[in-house]
Amino acid sequence: MRGGWLVAVSSVLLVAGSACSSGSAAANRVAVSTGACGARWQPSAPGWRTFEVYNGSTAGAEVELINPANGAIYAEIEGMGPATTRPMRIDLGSGSYAFRCLIEDTDAITGPVTRIPGHRRGASAIVPATVTDLLEPAREYHAYVTAGLRVLTRRTGTLVRDIERGDLAAARAAWLPAHLTYERLGAAYGTFGNFDDEIDGRADGLVGGVASPDFTGFYRLEYGLWHGQSAAELRGPARRLARAVHGLRAAFPQMEIDLLDLGLRTHEILENALQFQLSGHDDYGSGTTLATTAANITGTRELLRILHPLLITRYRNLPAVYSSLDLLQRLIDAEQQPGGRWVPVRKLGTLTRERIDAAAGQALEVLAPIAVILEPRRT
Amino acid sequence: MTDMPDIPRPPGVPHGPDVPHEPGASREPDVPYEPGTSRDPGTSRDPGTSRDPGTSREPGTSREPGRSREPDPGASAVQPGRPARRSFLRGAIGAGVAGVATGGAGGLAAGYAYRSSRPVPAADAAALAAAQGRLPPVAFHGAHQAGILRPAAPQTAVVSFDVVARGRAELTDLLQTITSRARFLTRGGTPPPVGISAPPSDSGILGPTVVPDGLTVTAAVGASLFDGRYGLGPQRPAGLTTMLPFPNDALDEAQCQGDLVLQVSGGHTDVVLHALRDITRHTRGGMQVRWRIDGFLSPGRPAGTTPRNLLGFMDGIANPGVTVAAQMNRLVWVQPGQPGESAWTAGGSYLVVRLIRMLTEFWDRVAITEQENMIGRRRDTGAPLDGDNEFDIPDYAADPTGDVIPLAAHMRLANPRTPQTASSRILRRGHNYDRGIDEVGNLDMGLIFTCYQQDIKRQFEAVQKRLIGEPLVDYISPFGGGYFFALPGVAGDADFFGKAMLA
Repeated sequence: MRGGWLVAVSSVLLVAGSACSSGSAAANRVAVSTGACGARWQPSAPGWRTFEVYNGSTAGAEVELINPANGAIYAEIEGMGPATTRPMRIDLGSGSYAFRCLIEDTDAITGPVTRIPGHRRGASAIVPATVTDLLEPAREYHAYVTAGLRVLTRRTGTLVRDIERGDLAAARAAWLPAHLTYERLGAAYGTFGNFDDEIDGRADGLVGGVASPDFTGFYRLEYGLWHGQSAAELRGPARRLARAVHGLRAAFPQMEIDLLDLGLRTHEILENALQFQLSGHDDYGSGTTLATTAANITGTRELLRILHPLLITRYRNLPAVYSSLDLLQRLIDAEQQPGGRWVPVRKLGTLTRERIDAAAGQALEVLAPIAVILEPRRT
Repeated sequence: MTDMPDIPRPPGVPHGPDVPHEPGASREPDVPYEPGTSRDPGTSRDPGTSRDPGTSREPGTSREPGRSREPDPGASAVQPGRPARRSFLRGAIGAGVAGVATGGAGGLAAGYAYRSSRPVPAADAAALAAAQGRLPPVAFHGAHQAGILRPAAPQTAVVSFDVVARGRAELTDLLQTITSRARFLTRGGTPPPVGISAPPSDSGILGPTVVPDGLTVTAAVGASLFDGRYGLGPQRPAGLTTMLPFPNDALDEAQCQGDLVLQVSGGHTDVVLHALRDITRHTRGGMQVRWRIDGFLSPGRPAGTTPRNLLGFMDGIANPGVTVAAQMNRLVWVQPGQPGESAWTAGGSYLVVRLIRMLTEFWDRVAITEQENMIGRRRDTGAPLDGDNEFDIPDYAADPTGDVIPLAAHMRLANPRTPQTASSRILRRGHNYDRGIDEVGNLDMGLIFTCYQQDIKRQFEAVQKRLIGEPLVDYISPFGGGYFFALPGVAGDADFFGKAMLA
């Protein structure tokens, strides 16, 4: 749904601009004819302006207002339907501007350059991330997951063997390391498709809930291990988990990482953690959702490490991302008990829990822009 | 219990301070809040004549110099960006607001504009708001916070936060951020586009242009803010303590107190929720919601009468008149040089919040005479039991043994109308609440009692103590709330909530 950067466009695109706050609208109107993208518009004083962008073609279109010197984008309209008009509101500072139109099967068309005189700062532009920019990060992330799956296979194997032997105390000890290994991969919102449901699905949405035969994976084992179920009861789900992990490991080399996902995951992993872990929702008995959150932070940090070179020049607030994650991490680590035990979130004191939730919320606020900034765009 | 409150503000009744109904009590100015209701035909504009927002001036952009109460910070199309914020605040969302609607008819002035006989230009923000079914904007800046004397709004959210800011600098930043967001939200305007730098800066639930719709954001601090965390101990307002349970209370600690309470009120639920989402989004790492309750004010039934609470009784028939400054200085505002008080508290006011469940199923099984004897008024007309009309003044002296108005009637205990009890009067600003069901399937509804006063001990607690054991206590159950200190007003663009407290 968010992958709107490939837009089919065919013919004519008309771009008109009109002054919003002051001046005559007609004097600022900009028109485009076939094969062109915006005409020169009347350069006037800097300030807020609303362009009325009209897609006169018979297909979808994407229009950007750019700095022609470096291609940085001030504003964009994605997925414009044919014969529709959309406003583009922008604080124009002194500098150079041009419209850029993305049309199917042709190179992007850049319109004439308009210069706004003076020395006033307006909205800032961001150099878009391209598909090429994101290929190497995707490769690195693929390698990270591949290595993680190797560890996951080993740790899941230990867990499953403990259950097969009927040593449930050992299984309870083996469950958390195996689960956290999966959670560190940064799987969120079905990254691994059906494998994710098999490995880490929750009981929600299943008829019968935790008693459903379709409830399987780590949470199924957690439920059984911490609710007095026997090794015999757990053998089936344990084998099924082992099969799913092996299946994922075998299939992953052929799985492609959606470039769009790289940016999205930087906040989605922790969105999931806030919704399901810090809330206690996904606590099926072990009381380790703080540990899961910590694992999710690790996964998020790995993505940030990989994307850092792209972000450092594009995201002013990147230092706040790191400091907010550091704070969240510190607050969570402080709740780990001697011997590595974790406190269930519902047993945290009010202020402690508020601090953790606030830190998670703050981290998410500063993480969220990354998905927008790193959305792959055509060049 | 005092908590049985009078909900002020009878809409649609054109009486004002010039029509005194009882000594010292004046009716509040009316603020219309039903869409399309504007009492003065001269102020309303046919909604159909309003132009497309994209091409027309935004509501509030027009100014009437004679009525504007503040300098006109929105005159320039662009507000200066705020200085860099600390780490817990959003950095990506532009804090500056562009194309901001200007102050327009301000604050109380705007709230009262409806009663004014002055002709109001059609372009006036208040008139435009009324034509579009909204309340006029309320000036944010002033010596006192705008949401205190103003009549209770149609919709409200009372939200208590625990501050999690680390250290005094972050606390300062938190209060500055709340201030700047409230300043924008109460004024309205168009949130700045963010290009490809971030998700949209605004939730969009009010459409592309944020309308004020009578929004007020009232900030008050709890005693816990003055513990060791921020070095504020010496600044604690002298009368600010933690609310202790009264004999008939059933307080739930999780729904009591808090470091900071914000009451967000406005003409419609969407405006209240928009403001709440905006403020919490910008302060994510600085404070965390501790408890929250939403409320509403019923329209007068029949039209023009004092709104009713959920026991079915008109509530707020008598309240100190807010237009009498001397009275407000005696009853509501902490005064400069008030004995024992820090200098910074002048212009603020103590706020008591009581969340009171009403056991309405039980109440509805009580005979009407018994109900009326418990309250002291007729349920149908609101008249005191010794009178005929809503605004008749009860004559307790003529009924010393309570033959007509029982001595234990809520109204009589709460305000005995004697010279000795005059200084214990409070300014009530309650709202009804309704939030689902309880464990046995009964409806969970009741009252968000809020009152302002100069001195909690002298006023709220004195009244509340008189009410201990009143017959009404069987039908209500106070479960939450707390004592707070509503900060002095924000004087201007350079000021912020609590600046003097932090100085």
